[in-house]
Amino acid sequence: MAVLTLSVNGEPRSANIKTGTTLLEFLHDYLEMTGTRCGCEEGTCGACTVHLDGRATRSCMITAEACAGKRVATVEGLAADGRLHAVQQAFLSFEAFQCGFCTPGMIMEAAALLNDRKPLTEARVRLFMEGHVCRCGMYNDIVKAVLSAAKEPKHD
Amino acid sequence: MTERMTRRDALGATLLALAAGPVRVEVARDGTVTAYTAKVELGQGAMTELTMAVAEELRVPVSRVKLVMGDTARCPDDGGTWASLTTPEAVPLLRQAAAEKRGGAVTPAAEWKVMGTPVRDLRGLAIVTGRQQYPSDLRMEGMLYARAARPPHYRAKLSKAGEARGVRILKDADLCAAVSADPVEAKRAAAALQCEWEPIPFPVPPSDRAALMRSFKENSTPPVENMKTRYPPLLRRGDAHAAWGAARAEDRHSSRYFLPFITHVPMEPRAALAVWRDGALEVRSGTQAPYAVRAELSRALGVAEEKIRVMALGPGGGFGGKQRAEVEIEAARLARLAGAPVLLQWSREEEFTCAYHRPAALVEIDSSAAGGRLETWIHRNYNAGAPGLMTPYDTAHISCEFHRAPSPVRQGSYRSLAAVSNTFARESHVDEWAARLKQDPLEFRLRNVADERLRAVLERLRKVPGGLACTIEKQARIALRAQVEVQGRLIRVKRLVYAGDYGAIVNPLNLRKQIEGALVQGLGGALFEEVLFEGTEQKTRLLSSYRVPRLSDTPPVDVELIDRRDIASAGAGEAAITLVAPAIANAVFAATGRRLRELPLRL
Repeated sequence: MAVLTLSVNGEPRSANIKTGTTLLEFLHDYLEMTGTRCGCEEGTCGACTVHLDGRATRSCMITAEACAGKRVATVEGLAADGRLHAVQQAFLSFEAFQCGFCTPGMIMEAAALLNDRKPLTEARVRLFMEGHVCRCGMYNDIVKAVLSAAKEPKHD
Repeated sequence: MTERMTRRDALGATLLALAAGPVRVEVARDGTVTAYTAKVELGQGAMTELTMAVAEELRVPVSRVKLVMGDTARCPDDGGTWASLTTPEAVPLLRQAAAEKRGGAVTPAAEWKVMGTPVRDLRGLAIVTGRQQYPSDLRMEGMLYARAARPPHYRAKLSKAGEARGVRILKDADLCAAVSADPVEAKRAAAALQCEWEPIPFPVPPSDRAALMRSFKENSTPPVENMKTRYPPLLRRGDAHAAWGAARAEDRHSSRYFLPFITHVPMEPRAALAVWRDGALEVRSGTQAPYAVRAELSRALGVAEEKIRVMALGPGGGFGGKQRAEVEIEAARLARLAGAPVLLQWSREEEFTCAYHRPAALVEIDSSAAGGRLETWIHRNYNAGAPGLMTPYDTAHISCEFHRAPSPVRQGSYRSLAAVSNTFARESHVDEWAARLKQDPLEFRLRNVADERLRAVLERLRKVPGGLACTIEKQARIALRAQVEVQGRLIRVKRLVYAGDYGAIVNPLNLRKQIEGALVQGLGGALFEEVLFEGTEQKTRLLSSYRVPRLSDTPPVDVELIDRRDIASAGAGEAAITLVAPAIANAVFAATGRRLRELPLRL
């Protein structure tokens, strides 16, 4: 066991963890930041997606120790100044969810995609969201929501 | 961050609530309304719909109503959240109670102000901000985390429990688990446990289709008429067996259909938090059926139901898979041994291997037709069940039968249960008749359907191309066109066009979502899902080895609804899933001339 401090949503956050603890376990189980969710623990469902230095990353596939010195961002930190991120707003407007368990991971994937320099096409949205499972089957609304968010003015 | 509840707070509330007894609707002095139901929100929109019902009858905005769900100490027993019953049963109960509170009669659908409008999911903001709490987020002061050791075999007896240094290992009969105040320590210790297991062989290999079908037939019990049950196992009209015997050979048609075991794969692997004090038990979990789980806990643990409180917290998906007390019983056993609150979390692998699956099905249909009309219909479902058994076709001689058979694997409910197998068989068979008689599939159905509402729904799809399927399921009249493209052995669904009459539409936004979600889920069972077994093991153990529908599998979906304000509302969680496989199979037949009678459909 050792204390590890990571930058999470711009703040230093510490936990006394076992060696080999994943970033998902660090966030969900130790910090109790429950927006980052455990669906499969093999990187195939996408429910645990967070941003690592701005890039969408599956937090179940990386150890917490490997994230030292990097910026970790989770869904809890996405809304700024009490305003929802454009992707959050779009998921809400299109109601692109049912049970909602996969939604934060989807939102983090889409938010990273929106910050990418490449122009956002439907094909690109489909490519990136393909790695996320929504067992409730709201895929068509998810694509509509992400494309709609891409039309909003960008914010970091 | 989770708000940690203290044990005293939780148990204090339990004792107060147990003393008070269930109430349906309360109005506080400030006008705030609280309503109570044992139904659970699974993402299917029950919370929003039931809140709308109360708001409608009390003439208050939806935001004024707080709905308490799934708590056996506070909510009346409304049965489990299953069988699409929230809309036809729980909505009327809450409307009635709220109307009585107002001192008036229930509002007719023609005068609805809140119901019938597209009200958004009340959990929306919590969901997009990550604040929505699920059972796997449950935490309590002094709680221990538990993880179980599992055998590599599907069924096994624990012959020797594993040992670990520095971590507490609990053993109770075949249950062996690591518990710790540290969540990761419990998880790693359970994974490292070297238990010895004695495998219990399968009575019949579950993935050997021929052997399984033979076993279903040889060991089945013929149904006995019982019209008092929700799903009668025998439905008859005329004398089908005699009429079949008398029909000319050239007017007869027989075929056989098969569906393998498939599984739910809710996004959230289940978890339960159990607390004991003074012989009383409190369990929080994501169950769909808090009262049924309470009864199971009572039987399994030898504790009176009155001393058990189950609190269902909306899970990350259910689909019929979270109706029985599996994780709840294990958590309660471990908490009793540990002498502390225990949160037992299942992994994805446990979700695959320890939960029950949808039953495999063998369906045999013997039918006869004359003059373009179906005359005889003998439908036998082996093992899967009686839901969706009755034919919607107006046929003189009918015998629809569910033959119960022993299953080599644990099986249970699944979205619409046997209605998927029964409708796949029936709608494929009807399509076979249309082809044999060289009739248009839609015209042939119209010639044989008397129900005016189903006829109206079929008419909506008259000009739409694609493989067709229709049915009456859970009172809804529904039809689907599937447009497919066949490239070599690959079947790709290009578009789904759906029409439905669900009576008076309660929430049009949510109804469309339920239909689209059920159609997408149906694509999996139709095209690729199957749980595989080999030797004494279940081979399907991870999401990477079980393909569920993804974005690229999802075609555009058009939904057309007929709003019948004059007719009672039908539930909508399930019906649509029943049409996906037959509509695709019928489209594949039209495209290739090949009739596929087993799922998943493979060319």
